Amino acid sequence: MGILVARRLLQSVVVILGVTLISFIALHAGGDPTYLFVSERATPEEIALVRQALGFDRPLHVQYLSFVADLARGDFGTSLSYRQPALDIVLGAFPATIELAVFAFAIAIVVAIPLGVVAALNRGTAVDGSITMLGLLGQSIPNFWMGIMLILFFGLYLRWFPISGHVPFLVPLLNGDLATALGNLPRTLYFLVMPGLAVATYSLARNTRLVRSSMLEVLGQDYVRTARAKGLSEQVVVVHHALRNAWLPVVTMVGLEFGFLLGGVVVTETVFSYPGIGRLLFNAINQRDIPVVQAGVILLAGNFILLNTVVDLVYARLDPRVSLTRGRR
Amino acid sequence: MKLRYLVALVAGLAIVGAAVMMIRTGPRAASTIVVGLSADIATFEPANISSRDNMNIAHHIFASLFTLDLDGQHLPSLARELAISEDGLAYTYTLREGLTCHDGEALTADDVAYTFTRIADPANKFTGNAPGFVFSSIGFRGAEALDPQRVRITIARKNPIAFGLLTEISIHCKDSYEKMTLDQAATAPIGSGPYRLVSWSRGAEIVLEKVGASAAAFDRIVWRIIPEASTRAAELMAGNVDIIANVAPDQIAAINQSGVAAVQSVTSTRRMFVGFNQAEQFGKTPGGRAIRDPRVRRALQYAVDVPTICRQLLQVECQRATGLVNAVNANKALSPYPYEPATAERLLDEAGWPRVNGKTRFALTLQAGRGRYLNDVNVVQAIGQYLRDAGVDLTVELMDWASVFQPLLRTRTAGPLFFMGTGGGLWSPIYDMNDLARVDAGTNYPNWSDPRWFSRWDDLTAAATPEETRRIVDEMLQVFYDDGPWLHLYFQPDFYGVSSRVEWKARPDERIYAFDARPKG
Amino acid sequence: MNLRPDPGRAWRSMVRAKWPLLAVAILAVVVVVAAFGPWLAPLDPERQSIASRLSPPGTTGPQGITHWLGSDVLGRDVLSRLLYGARISLLVGLAAIMVGGTLGTLAGLVSGYFGGWVDDVTMRLGDMQLAFPFVLLAIMFLVVLGPGVGNLVLVLGIGQWVTYARIVRAETLALREKEFVEAARALGDSTTTILFRTILPNTVAPLTVIASFNVASVILTEAALSFLGLGVPASVPTWGSMLAESRDTLLANKWWLAVFPGVAIMLTVLSFNIIGDWLRDALDPRLRERQ
Repeated sequence: MGILVARRLLQSVVVILGVTLISFIALHAGGDPTYLFVSERATPEEIALVRQALGFDRPLHVQYLSFVADLARGDFGTSLSYRQPALDIVLGAFPATIELAVFAFAIAIVVAIPLGVVAALNRGTAVDGSITMLGLLGQSIPNFWMGIMLILFFGLYLRWFPISGHVPFLVPLLNGDLATALGNLPRTLYFLVMPGLAVATYSLARNTRLVRSSMLEVLGQDYVRTARAKGLSEQVVVVHHALRNAWLPVVTMVGLEFGFLLGGVVVTETVFSYPGIGRLLFNAINQRDIPVVQAGVILLAGNFILLNTVVDLVYARLDPRVSLTRGRR
Repeated sequence: MKLRYLVALVAGLAIVGAAVMMIRTGPRAASTIVVGLSADIATFEPANISSRDNMNIAHHIFASLFTLDLDGQHLPSLARELAISEDGLAYTYTLREGLTCHDGEALTADDVAYTFTRIADPANKFTGNAPGFVFSSIGFRGAEALDPQRVRITIARKNPIAFGLLTEISIHCKDSYEKMTLDQAATAPIGSGPYRLVSWSRGAEIVLEKVGASAAAFDRIVWRIIPEASTRAAELMAGNVDIIANVAPDQIAAINQSGVAAVQSVTSTRRMFVGFNQAEQFGKTPGGRAIRDPRVRRALQYAVDVPTICRQLLQVECQRATGLVNAVNANKALSPYPYEPATAERLLDEAGWPRVNGKTRFALTLQAGRGRYLNDVNVVQAIGQYLRDAGVDLTVELMDWASVFQPLLRTRTAGPLFFMGTGGGLWSPIYDMNDLARVDAGTNYPNWSDPRWFSRWDDLTAAATPEETRRIVDEMLQVFYDDGPWLHLYFQPDFYGVSSRVEWKARPDERIYAFDARPKG
Repeated sequence: MNLRPDPGRAWRSMVRAKWPLLAVAILAVVVVVAAFGPWLAPLDPERQSIASRLSPPGTTGPQGITHWLGSDVLGRDVLSRLLYGARISLLVGLAAIMVGGTLGTLAGLVSGYFGGWVDDVTMRLGDMQLAFPFVLLAIMFLVVLGPGVGNLVLVLGIGQWVTYARIVRAETLALREKEFVEAARALGDSTTTILFRTILPNTVAPLTVIASFNVASVILTEAALSFLGLGVPASVPTWGSMLAESRDTLLANKWWLAVFPGVAIMLTVLSFNIIGDWLRDALDPRLRERQ
């Protein structure tokens, strides 16, 4: 166990360095970013001064190495457009995205399981057909379009849900202000409904189909048939025997799924003007705010690795056949 | 059992519904105004602010010495008087009595001088509009307090528009800013204006609160960042936002029909044009050679139907520009080029560029940034179609504005055709012409060099009377109209969606002053 | 263990399931449209006419041109763009899968067969790819490279390679100890021959399944990138970019701009998903957990 964690840690460092190198190269390949930080009518001399002030006059490898050296000391650099520590900026936007991702993830699981179970239990009927069809449709709608349609229909036409914005829950919670956090919670959730749905649609649809098919498989297994033969009620059979086994494949995807959700929020955050990390990084890339992009990418990659390590550990507990050194492939 | 599930479902829905009813946002306090902007802001450090939206918010927090009103009138603000020395190099402002900053500190001439010298201090590495544009334009030399009420700003060269540029400088106090680090100053401004910053949630909203006895009508201003045009319009139509900027032209009708808001259209001073870049590097291609010939440039003027572009793509009626000067100061003898495709074809034939095998005449690339100006992606494509119709083998290249197009502009290598808009002014034709003051000016994006234009700048400086100046300006504008480096387009219209619960008038200079707004009824 | 596809069995199971049949029929139409779109299109898809922009479906313009599915924001014919768009959308989807599939398969074969440091390096690269949210990576490269069909294919393809690499690697690991591979080795076949003639054919089934799901997700990603202004150049029609262009006119109720490309995307993606489902069930049920 200890060896696994150590090995994973080492691998993560390599992965994270690789990720920063990729974004460093990508962001510098577009040419000198200095022009983004001078006013419209700056003279060449002023531009040169700014270039020097920003450190873009140094050779690329020197810039990267000094970035890594700073990173090793825990210094992520200063945002070029906000002129604040890059890590603070990224951490400031992260809680909102976590709220969105967790909410969407919850929808994708909580709604998917009953839908999948109902479809499986009614296999071949109209109910199954419509759930399956909805599942397929949900996987075929681009999420920006889904978002705009939600805004126009539920936000503007029916006025059921707020159109855009965000009420913080995690930020007051992390600041130790429990009263504010709990007071905000209902409105946090209320504001999350539409962006959450837009983010979740794809995963929700996929999970529904996944639960349905694994449920069908389990229902056909001998022990379920035995349970039924023993005269146990349908409810007991479904909940205690079938469901317990059917949702395992969903759980195995948690790590990958969460990373997928985090990556997919860029578009949704733009549509709902949601102040999360996806939009922050999209803007930072456009403005070549390299320190912010790097901090964000490190945070997301680290988060992804952490989640997957945890999932692997949990999974190893659940299923001893999985080799710990190789992990799940 | 089925029934049991049904009951549970209904009960569940009822609970959710009740909860929703309870937390639904009620009507906003009447004393709050909400403004929806399209772009995020970066900082509250006045010397680092460079974007228009950022500046608009800052102008509520920081007052300036003087202001320019809707009609370009120069009005007193923190200062009540301005005296300009004989030689035009010293500007002496007299402050009003009893001014304070938001923390209670008295605001005196010393503070104003500090504000100016702090901006210019190279150790601070400021790159905003104040040091990068205002100070470099006026050639800022120094600022000193003559006595507690009078401060003198000195500049390097005489400049007829310096007084206007100086209205853009945000004033703050000395002690509070000396105490703060640059980091703190960027997030916790201590201003001198009618509002102070209450909270700033990056990428989401900025909340301002009225200070003391300001005459502004609203106690709170909430600026919300809503990048997507449809979302902004939906929030306005749902009554959650009072003013939105940058309405998409195709959404104007829907907003006007909503009954809760209406769109105000105002022609801004921003001059939109297609530049013909005559840089050396383009001379190697036939297209690049062609556009060096004024006859070709003039021919292409007839090929583009500007009024139709305005009507269809911008949803406004416009008069085509006759040059680079805003309409009030334009040469009245000039009338806009009409859309005459046949004339364009004939002139191109006569200029020696006939259609080869009846197809195209020469190839050109039209470059533009994306998402910078009103409906730019479609306008550029439409211009491309018109030029193709005249026999130009035209390629449209739309690029990221900030990171790709802007560097090309800066190195004057955009094009050979490029679409852009530059901010102008109503106060002086020379201000609008100033971009092309020298052949080697950084803003001479088309690398134009016609001596009939550039040799006249000395005449302008030497002109003794306003009439003489006007005559020279008109002659220059005639040259620009006939043989200039611009394909004339239009002055950009700006659209603001305004809720029927507030009274507010849009300005032509892209400034949004929420302290001018009043609740209606 | 042999997973080579069996056309006869496949056909019978498809007929039994009915849905896949419909999906194949839809895709057949899409492919025909993609192949012959330029001949089917009534008008030049890039030809603008801003005077008759936003005409509703069925409008006949001043020059006697009828826009059967309406015209778009620049007065271009929606039907013609849809027909041309089929080609580019499908091309982008398939080409990206080719790029990603080829890269991934090669990486998977090599790292599974040789193991050791080759395997380590490949898998770490894969980890990097997975840890880097794909949309951000795509944005980063497209902002820098600029819009273009080629760039788009490259970026979308690179985003897919890991999936293929991991599956091929797992198959290769399992296969390399099998008797028929040992036999090939004993017979003196070269490594290349073993990899491409002996092992690769056995991975075709899982690869086909993954690919059909992937085409669907690539088409959706293309739409999302278009929404962010990073898709194909503005005048080039793809279904995704057409849908993205419709965003500002939805409020004004110009439904035809969104509905037609939207339906085209949905039907195509749906068909690929249905076929993927069916292929998986028919060929390799074990793959379920990986999708």
